[in-house]
Amino acid sequence: MTFILTDTLEQSANRNLPAPLAETLTSALEHLREGCFQRSLCLIVATTSVASGLEVGYEHYKGSYSNPVMYTPVVLSGALAGAGLVGVFSRFAARTVLRWISIVTLADGVIGFFFHIRGIARKPGGWSLPVTNIVMGPPIFAPLLFGTSAYLGLMASYLRREEDLEPTVERVGAAIESESSGWRSDLRHGRFQKHLSALTVLWAFFSGFEALYSHYKSNFRFKAQWTPVLLAPLVMAAAVGAVRSRRIANTALPAVSALALADGAIGFYYHARGIVRRPGGIKKPLYNTLYGPPIFAPLLFAACGFLGLLASLLRRERR
Amino acid sequence: MPHRLGAMQTLPSPMRRFQENDLVDYCIVGVGSAGGVLVQRLARAGFRVVALEAGPFWDTEKDWVSDEKGSHELYWNDLRITGGTDPLALGSNNCGKGVGGGSVHWAAFAPRFHPSDFRVYSEDGVGVDWPMSYWDLKPYYELLEREMPVAGPAWFPWGDPHGHPYGPHPLSGRGDVLVRGCTKLGIRSVAGGPVAILSASHGDRPHCIYRGFCIQGCKVGAKASTLITHVPNAISHGAEIRAHAMASRVSVRQDGRVDGVFYFDREGKEQFQRARAVIVSGYAIETPRLLLNSACPGHRQGLANSSGTLGKYLMAQAGNVVAGRFEELIRLYKAPPAHALSEEFYETDPRRGFARGFAIQTVGPLPVAFAKQMVAAMGAWGWGMRRVMMDYNHWSTLGVLGEILPWEDNCVELAEEKDQHGLPVAKVTFNLHDNDKKLIEFGKQKVMEIMWAAGAKQVVQESRFAHLVGAARMGRDPSTSVVDKFGRTHDIPNLFVCDGSILPTQGSANPGLTIQALAARTADYLIKQGDAIFFSNRRDLSEPGIRYDLSPPYTRFKGNPRIA
Repeated sequence: MTFILTDTLEQSANRNLPAPLAETLTSALEHLREGCFQRSLCLIVATTSVASGLEVGYEHYKGSYSNPVMYTPVVLSGALAGAGLVGVFSRFAARTVLRWISIVTLADGVIGFFFHIRGIARKPGGWSLPVTNIVMGPPIFAPLLFGTSAYLGLMASYLRREEDLEPTVERVGAAIESESSGWRSDLRHGRFQKHLSALTVLWAFFSGFEALYSHYKSNFRFKAQWTPVLLAPLVMAAAVGAVRSRRIANTALPAVSALALADGAIGFYYHARGIVRRPGGIKKPLYNTLYGPPIFAPLLFAACGFLGLLASLLRRERR
Repeated sequence: MPHRLGAMQTLPSPMRRFQENDLVDYCIVGVGSAGGVLVQRLARAGFRVVALEAGPFWDTEKDWVSDEKGSHELYWNDLRITGGTDPLALGSNNCGKGVGGGSVHWAAFAPRFHPSDFRVYSEDGVGVDWPMSYWDLKPYYELLEREMPVAGPAWFPWGDPHGHPYGPHPLSGRGDVLVRGCTKLGIRSVAGGPVAILSASHGDRPHCIYRGFCIQGCKVGAKASTLITHVPNAISHGAEIRAHAMASRVSVRQDGRVDGVFYFDREGKEQFQRARAVIVSGYAIETPRLLLNSACPGHRQGLANSSGTLGKYLMAQAGNVVAGRFEELIRLYKAPPAHALSEEFYETDPRRGFARGFAIQTVGPLPVAFAKQMVAAMGAWGWGMRRVMMDYNHWSTLGVLGEILPWEDNCVELAEEKDQHGLPVAKVTFNLHDNDKKLIEFGKQKVMEIMWAAGAKQVVQESRFAHLVGAARMGRDPSTSVVDKFGRTHDIPNLFVCDGSILPTQGSANPGLTIQALAARTADYLIKQGDAIFFSNRRDLSEPGIRYDLSPPYTRFKGNPRIA
């Protein structure tokens, strides 16, 4: 019998936790497994967009918004946060507004990626000095990472809502969506573990690479700077394994993803401390956030751990 | 009001004061790059140390102004005589007066010497070999790079490749020009350092704010000078820095050992500081001048001059400045002058027809210095000068830093003229030789080529010199050198020289880091020898082994900065 993470968690909760807590946890896991967590994911999308909006807001402020296109991610993350919030309350908004804003934001991330590549090409020496200019130029994968919350928003728009888990509602819903195609139905029922694992591979690569070159820039002065660089390949390997094997998806993937999540959280603390330690500290919040370590960047690494964890709690695709 | 050093640091107070007749262990003459490190190390190791400094003890808030002309007093402006076929301009960027010495107005470029610099004679048949190897000095380079600390790229590809403890600085317009031009021509370059200016805060010193007045004395405290990196720690550990004390001669006892230093105090009265050993750290002109002025029976030619080489083999580096005018804005005044370089032409290349090489570096003259360069470079004057200066923000400058070999006829002697204390002043003779001229010509052409490749519309150049080293060189053979590899004079066992003047050759690297690394090494040697220096004439040349416990605070990246 294969080890299934959610089953084990449920059993363990029933055995070890007091009844109300165990029930809550079991029900949460069931919602996840069944794909009935649209409202929760909308809330997560709203908060992560606020964080990524702040990050891109000040990073582009540092670049003086020299190109008007630099305003788009700031505006879009505001819109996405709003759409996420509305999606918490309205099924209709979650399926329409949130979906379209997410798609536009994702597209914006891809466009931004090309602008950042061009920005590096425009540095003196351009791509003939790849190391120097990746280190000194615009952060190459940041626009794609900016798409994380948009991607979550896109997925949220296809999920079922928490209340849909009730059997009566479920029957009505099934009648409405009988005509929906295979992948939509998979998403609706929480069957997208492989898909999300594949996404985790990509995201771990992007955020690991960002961590690599930006920590390389300061020559790995603190030993903790090595951790995301070393963890990223582990997450990638586990996530690749998770695409191919259900067993890995339920064992190695949650383990390393939890590590990545914790590492991101610790990194967030270190970056915040780095900012406070700059002269002026919290009395000069804007200046020190601008020129100190990028405060939300470790959370992007934590986000790829979050994706991996989420993947391990889902069901696999039917095909 | 406390004595301020930079924006956040204050001088430890009160400073220990030795009494008039106190016998101290070490009297150090000159608190510059080397003197500052020495006094800090020796005080920390528990020695009783007095350091004499001819200039003032700078309070960075009160004494320094962010102004080109107003910063003139950072230099040694007393009378000096210059001569030779290619006379050096003295009294500006090549010497300092005041605590911190030249390190308060250096551009803080901090590249290491290459391993080949220590074996110039063996490898190229010119100059002379050092009595030590690069590998003896390497741990001190690494330590001082952390003490200053040095910001730069994580990979510096030339010489002995290495990284830097602090991240690189962003590039300014002229850094862009250097990198762009070099890349066009397929020349490797590095961006953002190595420069001893903080790219992030460090202990009680804030990071650089790119205001551009580095060589006018950094009021921020982001640029490393021994005034703020080592002197405060020396004072905390009981050293005395005696400012406005102009050393006049080193006193020699009957038994051939020195016993102290005569100096003129602030009022011009001659005083005597007794010491069990003396270290002269006056840099390449004042060190030989003091030793020559200390001539006495038994040392007719000057102290430590039995070889006759004291004052000889003076070196300056070729510092030609190439300026190019661009269509786009460059803004020369922005950011530290020093932040991008190429050492691609550092080593000897037989195809070039001369020995040794040069480095290419960014330089950043502010308007007054730039105007002077333009007078020399293009004869700009009157209305023409106004036209040039209107375009100041469109000009970019790059510097050649070329190795000039040590020649016997380049020397420091005593002149007939006397200074305000009645001491004979130094007369500096400087001539270029065939190899130097070829090197300068090649370097100049190469940098102009880079400037054109970067897209300049007009390119001009000015010949000048930078840095001064040599004149009391170290060596194994007492008949051809003044001091041994630890700076101890061959003639007098308790007289040391430790500063740029002991360098036998100079490479094409800015000497500041090397001078401080040598000082830390000498200090380790003195500490290891302990009392033997004071009582024994035996010369022990075994390696001291590096001490990591004598560095100033924050060297190990520990501790919270004080938040103002």
